[in-house]
Amino acid sequence: MKAEKDVKRKEYYLFSPFLRIFHWIMASQIVILFVTGLLITKPMDANSTEPTFTLMSMDLVRDIHFLAAFIFTASLILRIYGFIVNKGDRLFPRVWEGHFYSETVEVALHYMLLKPHHAPFLRNPLARMSYAGLYAMVAVEILTGFAMYFMNSPFTTGGKLFGWVNTILGSEMMTHYVHHYVAWLIIVFALGHLYMVIRAEFMEGESEVSSMFSGKKILAHTPKDANELE
Amino acid sequence: MCVEVEENTACKNVKIFKEGRKLEKRESLWEAYLRRGFSRRNFLKGCVALTSLMGLSTDMLSKVVEAAETKPLPVVIWIHGHECTGCDESFIRSAAPLASDVVLTSIALEYDHLLSAACGEPFEAHLDETIQKYYGNYILAVEGAVSTKDNGVYCMSGGHTFTHLLQKAAKGAAAIIAYGSCSAYGGIQAAKPNPTGSSGIEHFVGGKTVIKVPGCPPIPEVMTGVVMHVALFGTVPPLDGDGRPKQFYGNRIHDTCYRRPFFDAGMFAENYDDAGSKAGWCLYKLGCRGPETYNSCGNIRWYQGMSYPIQSGAACIGCSNSNFWDEGPFSTRLPAYGKLGDVDKIGAGLAAATGIGVVGHAIASVIQRNNRENLLEEHEE
Ligand code: HEM
Ligand code: HEM
Ligand code: SF4
Ligand code: SF4
Repeated sequence: MKAEKDVKRKEYYLFSPFLRIFHWIMASQIVILFVTGLLITKPMDANSTEPTFTLMSMDLVRDIHFLAAFIFTASLILRIYGFIVNKGDRLFPRVWEGHFYSETVEVALHYMLLKPHHAPFLRNPLARMSYAGLYAMVAVEILTGFAMYFMNSPFTTGGKLFGWVNTILGSEMMTHYVHHYVAWLIIVFALGHLYMVIRAEFMEGESEVSSMFSGKKILAHTPKDANELE
Repeated sequence: MCVEVEENTACKNVKIFKEGRKLEKRESLWEAYLRRGFSRRNFLKGCVALTSLMGLSTDMLSKVVEAAETKPLPVVIWIHGHECTGCDESFIRSAAPLASDVVLTSIALEYDHLLSAACGEPFEAHLDETIQKYYGNYILAVEGAVSTKDNGVYCMSGGHTFTHLLQKAAKGAAAIIAYGSCSAYGGIQAAKPNPTGSSGIEHFVGGKTVIKVPGCPPIPEVMTGVVMHVALFGTVPPLDGDGRPKQFYGNRIHDTCYRRPFFDAGMFAENYDDAGSKAGWCLYKLGCRGPETYNSCGNIRWYQGMSYPIQSGAACIGCSNSNFWDEGPFSTRLPAYGKLGDVDKIGAGLAAATGIGVVGHAIASVIQRNNRENLLEEHEE
């Protein structure tokens, strides 16, 4: 095999700074939201301490959750802006193109270890589907979250904007359940995502991890979806 | 915390009673008071109580007095479907206004399955008469759900299904009030698997507005307050998106609960017999549904403001919610799935499984790549 240094590589500029900043805000805020969310459902035991002196009052935990929720929701603007100004910030998997499906199957077979490799991509179709899935889950969290949040005053603008979520789900308790269950799904996604990113970096010669910092992928091979950047 | 109610909605709304039709002379509340020999002072006191009960500000008092002096007492038909009649038990305990006042002086209760002394054919004939005579002008109060399975045979009276009765009575009603969670949402009998196909009355009244007064049962003063609002102003009270009167269902129990400071401070009873419970701490960890329940328990309370479940040390079960009967167990915040436990346990298990899977997959991937590279190298040689 040739030494790493001798391989000729090409630089692909993929992620705008807006997407990258958004990504790291998202990753950090979701961790905060998840931890505080679980603490909201099952608060820590205050019986053994003098509650006046604890820092983890329910009020504080909820306020942290809400602050993180606001930051996270606001940061979505960055993602959308990036999508508009930069071709690399692709939001939707190209499900309308026929080759998408065969490529997805190929990648899936490779991940199931049934195929030795799959064609190289800047972002493979399976990953892009999983990101679309994550955004859908995030949308559910935001809708259900604000539906619970604003219903302390149902007749204000916020209540009117999000109250219908409770109606659609049948009851507000169901909104809590959905919010909580989807939170777990997001965490399972995050674990798998973290693994896949690191795996792609080390196993497939993709400069994956660094791309979310620099926005660039520096690759020795020519990815199949490179034309989407033009 | 106070509900914001647009103060003059009561008067702005379109009148629901049809004018024009000449009815026989009926008494107003004031005339009823006069006939019973009550003083003007008594009457005014009653009006003050009514005003505040209906959630109106005190400058509405003159409007209330005026209405009480001139409005003829409205005719009410009160029918009972698929239910336990517990709402009536609650209603007759209303203290301000006294239920007896409402029934005897404030409304003309012409037909009531439960409270009427009459029975049999003459009673049923009286219903038809009342519907005809006051067509378009009576208030229909409905307690209990509609049974929809097997053509409604699970709830019948007078030889007809309740659905039939409801549709008949709803046609000529000026206003329809759904009392209790049964008639609003289906009630306990609608719990899975809902063998009788129990459902709220909303879709069986020919598209008319239903004023929902849920609760299992609703608070007595809320029941009388709503019917008095319709009776005195001839308008539907301001409703929220779900059709519930804003002044009584505009806040969550949690946002009006006197134990809320304990919630915010993170002071929770862990058991019904622990020190926290004795000290009156928040019942959240015991499954309290206050955070998602809209009702007046926290501010009006029950039985002349004596108490309400949370004050008595029991967690709220959300009895005025649309689906509370299927959202058990009431004693925890999350449902559990047998041996698997609740979603936190399942989720943690899932996360652990993902972790193990990831490690396994990583190892297998490395082996696969090494095999591939070995093959390639052999090839090159
Ligand atoms: C809660 C945690 C996380 C969530 C929810 C998350 C979510 C996402 C999403 C939705 C994308 C796609 C971005 C887009 O194009 O719209 C993405 C991409 C990416 N993430 Fe994360 N992420 C998380 C944590 C991390 C961490 C900890 C790392 C670092 C190791 C990381 C590295 C990356 C990389 C490198 C990409 C680019 C993937 C590609 O080239 O296709 N992520 N992530
Ligand atoms: C990825 C994002 C999020 C995650 C993982 C998350 C997680 C959680 C969890 C696990 C709970 C406990 C649910 C329960 O059993 O009651 C919770 C509660 C809640 N979350 Fe989120 N959440 C997220 C986003 C949001 C957003 C965007 C909002 C919007 C304001 C929000 C508002 C709330 C509210 C109001 C509660 C209920 C608090 C209470 O009952 O006192 N969440 N969250
Ligand atoms: S007892 Fe229930 S309603 Fe009252 S503060 Fe606690 S959780 Fe909220
Ligand atoms: S406290 Fe909750 S369960 Fe009890 S009566 Fe009020 S709404 Fe119903």
